[in-house]
Amino acid sequence: MLRKIIYKEFKSYFRNLNSVFLPLIFFFLIISIFPLLIGPDKNLLNKIIPGIVWITVIFTTLLSSSNFFKDEYNNGFLETYLTSETSIELILFLKIILCWIFTCLPIIFFIPIVSIFFDIPLKNSFVILFTLIIGSPILVSIGIFGSSLTLGIPKNNVLVPVITLPFYIPILIFSASAIESVSSGLPYEMQLYILMALLCFVLPIMPYLLKYTLTLSINN
Amino acid sequence: MNISKIANLKFFFTNTKNLSRFLGLFTFILFFFGIYWGLYVAPSDYLQGESYRIMYLHVPAAWLSLQVYMFMAITGFVSLVWKVKIMEIISIQCAPIGAYFTLIALVTGMVWGKPTWGTYWVWDARLTSELILLFLYIGVIALYSAFSDKRQAVKITSLLAIVGLVNIPIIHYSVEWWNTLHQGPSVTKFEQPSMHISMLLPLLYMFLVFNVYFIAVLIKRVQLGIYNREKRSKWMEDYLSD
Repeated sequence: MLRKIIYKEFKSYFRNLNSVFLPLIFFFLIISIFPLLIGPDKNLLNKIIPGIVWITVIFTTLLSSSNFFKDEYNNGFLETYLTSETSIELILFLKIILCWIFTCLPIIFFIPIVSIFFDIPLKNSFVILFTLIIGSPILVSIGIFGSSLTLGIPKNNVLVPVITLPFYIPILIFSASAIESVSSGLPYEMQLYILMALLCFVLPIMPYLLKYTLTLSINN
Repeated sequence: MNISKIANLKFFFTNTKNLSRFLGLFTFILFFFGIYWGLYVAPSDYLQGESYRIMYLHVPAAWLSLQVYMFMAITGFVSLVWKVKIMEIISIQCAPIGAYFTLIALVTGMVWGKPTWGTYWVWDARLTSELILLFLYIGVIALYSAFSDKRQAVKITSLLAIVGLVNIPIIHYSVEWWNTLHQGPSVTKFEQPSMHISMLLPLLYMFLVFNVYFIAVLIKRVQLGIYNREKRSKWMEDYLSD
């Protein structure tokens, strides 16, 4: 059962490669719009590019996770998951991980290219990479939680960002501060440790929370 | 009289009408005295002069904004676990009141900030976390109003409120860690409050008044919520036609 679900997820991602490539294109578009908006001043861009990268990652994760359960809710797969013998928590955990692999991992792979475009030093771009690797799974799982809350609502385009963005704030603060510290030559490990702690806190709880919200949404 | 009887929607609706009216009047009188005490009797601050007096609105509103969120989350938890109908209504009716308290705290803080800091807004830790609290409230209200089935809506929003309650300390400390410019808490220092007792007493009094106000408004709003939910039921029609 579990193997079949993983197979189905992979197949649905690969069948529609747009859902993998379009977030990446979106990411590049937003990043390249910023220099047009604030001018090509290199020092200024170098200072704010970590924030831009993070904002773009937020948009991308929100776009990809705001309708996360919609299809499975409409065609009845969710009920099947909830009544199946395989543990639903494990399925949900795998779904979070797969969503992260297909939406955030491509972006993370392209961070070195972005740092070439904006002339970021190697060490700084490594720290940006680390914060993204640790922080983006948290963003994805919170976004999926937001989408599970809005399952019973027919049109929820702006609602999911409004609900979930306040929960993103601690992650954003610590990753921005890690990048800030490394670019001014200060130690940055502490912020990364806190991010890891947040990841270890959120990721194991999230499948249980999602299961609870899904049962609430389905049993109406 | 046992709890299950008070928790009955009909009992609550038909018996709290005078109570809310009395509490409203009571709040008005208490508030009048508190304003007099805070604005005329209390001594002026040696550093900030008279402008500090807005604290008597600002600080209780800020305390209440957090307290109401906690109350909302706890009643939401009770409604989720024990399926008490009245708790669902109480929980969701807390959200707009708390949002108003947050708004009052923010606006009075901005008014105070202009003469003291020279600007209406600074991106400082406590201001920012209060703003985020406002966004959390708005999220709860928006989520509730997006559902057409209101019983379902209450369940989902109370879950959001509980998760928000877990998140508030994390947000608060991360924001605090991010930037600190706001003057530190001057009441809850354990050794000795850095505020003279003649200033502190009206503040605590105003906190009490705000609490009474909150209860009065909450009862009124809960009655409205009960009406909206039960307006088609038989007892409501009988009661209203009498």
